[in-house]
Amino acid sequence: MRKTKPMRTATVLMLSISVAASVMADMARAATETNADKGFRWRDGAEVYSKVCSYCHQGQVGPRLFGRELPPEYIRAIVRNGSRAMPPFRPSEIDDESLAKLAEYIQRN
Amino acid sequence: MSNKYIALPKGISEKTFDSAIADFRSVLGDAAVFTSAQQLAPYIKTMMPVPDLDHAPSAALMATTVEEIQKIVGICNRYKVPIWTISTGKNLGYGSAAPVERGQVVLDLKRMNRILEVDKDLAYALVEPGVTYKQLYDYIAEHKLGLWLSMPAPSAIAGPVGNTLDRGVGYTPYGEHFLFACGMEVVLANGEVLRTGMGSMPNSNTWQVFKWGYGPYLDGIFTQSNYGIVTKFGFWLMPAPPAFKPFVIQYENEEDIVEIVEIIRPLRISGVIPNAVVIAHALYEAPVKARRSDYVTGPGSIPDAAVRKLAKDHHLGIWNVYAALYGTQEQIDLNWKIVTQAFGKSGKAKILTEREVGDDPAFKYRAALMRGDMTLQEFSLYNWRGGGGSMWFAPVSQARGSETLKQMALTKEILAKYGLDYSGEFIVGMRDMHHIVDVLYDKTDPGQVKAAYQCFDELLTIFSAQGYGIYRVNTAFMDKVAETYGPVQRQVHKTLKKALDPNGILAPGKSGIR
Repeated sequence: MRKTKPMRTATVLMLSISVAASVMADMARAATETNADKGFRWRDGAEVYSKVCSYCHQGQVGPRLFGRELPPEYIRAIVRNGSRAMPPFRPSEIDDESLAKLAEYIQRN
Repeated sequence: MSNKYIALPKGISEKTFDSAIADFRSVLGDAAVFTSAQQLAPYIKTMMPVPDLDHAPSAALMATTVEEIQKIVGICNRYKVPIWTISTGKNLGYGSAAPVERGQVVLDLKRMNRILEVDKDLAYALVEPGVTYKQLYDYIAEHKLGLWLSMPAPSAIAGPVGNTLDRGVGYTPYGEHFLFACGMEVVLANGEVLRTGMGSMPNSNTWQVFKWGYGPYLDGIFTQSNYGIVTKFGFWLMPAPPAFKPFVIQYENEEDIVEIVEIIRPLRISGVIPNAVVIAHALYEAPVKARRSDYVTGPGSIPDAAVRKLAKDHHLGIWNVYAALYGTQEQIDLNWKIVTQAFGKSGKAKILTEREVGDDPAFKYRAALMRGDMTLQEFSLYNWRGGGGSMWFAPVSQARGSETLKQMALTKEILAKYGLDYSGEFIVGMRDMHHIVDVLYDKTDPGQVKAAYQCFDELLTIFSAQGYGIYRVNTAFMDKVAETYGPVQRQVHKTLKKALDPNGILAPGKSGIR
């Protein structure tokens, strides 16, 4: 398959139906919204760490986090508020559940 | 002052805002509407030298569908509540995720993060605003699509929609990002959904391959603007070349930038060097390798002698030209000959490749950026002064040696007056250069905060007086920069705003437009 289109077949079929009136076009667009793939979700703390944190915290930009037994509450507070140059991360980026897993992952390593 | 909210939109009573919030909750659910100080904390921190509370939002909304956004703008029109839209919210040094005016409601689209389509043959992508470069990079790798991204230095945590809409740049041959944008879906202030270019035609399959559509080209008015909310965005990707040769050319004196630019311009315009070349000053690269405190202590900017010593100690040029060749090995071999001949003439240039400096940390991250790989190494800049203060000063220059030297000297002189260092680089377009200077200061030091504000203000004043325009600026200085482009452009922007958003609900103040 040359073209990758992460939508369900139903959506593609919906979009392929010929529609001339703009009302119908809007309906097709709404269908795209409801039927399509739900988007990205974090799997676990290790994934958040490797895809976000590690670029600075293992890249000689920010301090190392592993091996310090940092308390989860401290990690949560820094992630949500930022610290000096470190930007804060919003729940829309790292949801509370994934942040809890991340904090636990960092503490454990 | 409201007790219930940390801020209120300008001119909106608490009672009216209560009603707006209740309506937002009915559309999005309680969990996607934030109003408490704790919930809003990640939307408040900026790197600008003004109190963060000056840019504190009154609320934040996490929308995930176009339909929700249509309903949100309906509520905003009803109550005249302004919204400030963000995508990944990592506009660091330009205002981060905070609104331009205190009390605006942040519309956070990070959770709209679907990669809708990537076409390998036609080499384009269609994504939602919350997609990060990292997410797309992983997707392309997973599906073995053989396509390269171009992204700015905050790569992994930033995204193509926000960066391109703010007319950001990257470092590959596709580095001038808006040149490679193709088709947008925009929710207008009246709730209608516009698809630009070919996307307006039902059943068209050319939305992401032909930019212009029919009639006036509209995509430009949705960049650096507040005329609509972009919910889908198409852009072109670069097919991975069979071979790639990054290199750095070092020069030892600041005046050498004249020679560098005169040599680069014809190579860039003719396409021998296809990518957005960077001419980085030693102080832009130094933080990757050195600490400022090892070379200078106390107040004031770093002296030239210390910069020369630092450059020597850490194998940096005073100017470091990072560029790359792309294509087949035969093409690269031929173009390499042209490049080395051009730079070899004066005997001033030191030409280095992966063979000599492949392990050098500055070269490594620059090479990664030039092939669209993820790296956040450039954030080392923030360790130079520490304290989290940063503003990008971004005037445009002609790609002419004498002009770049003049801009560099002028910037350095004004920064030094305020005790700040010249951490600058030029990103080479074909005929222009984005002169990018990170005005770094310690935000925990009130003296440096004051100096940084005054310095930035003076930079804008002096540069505009000399006819040097700023192409992008942080939210604390948007009005000032808008003013420098004259009254007629400002009036046209205002006329468009009135026509498309009569209630002024979409990000009033963005780029000075209300």
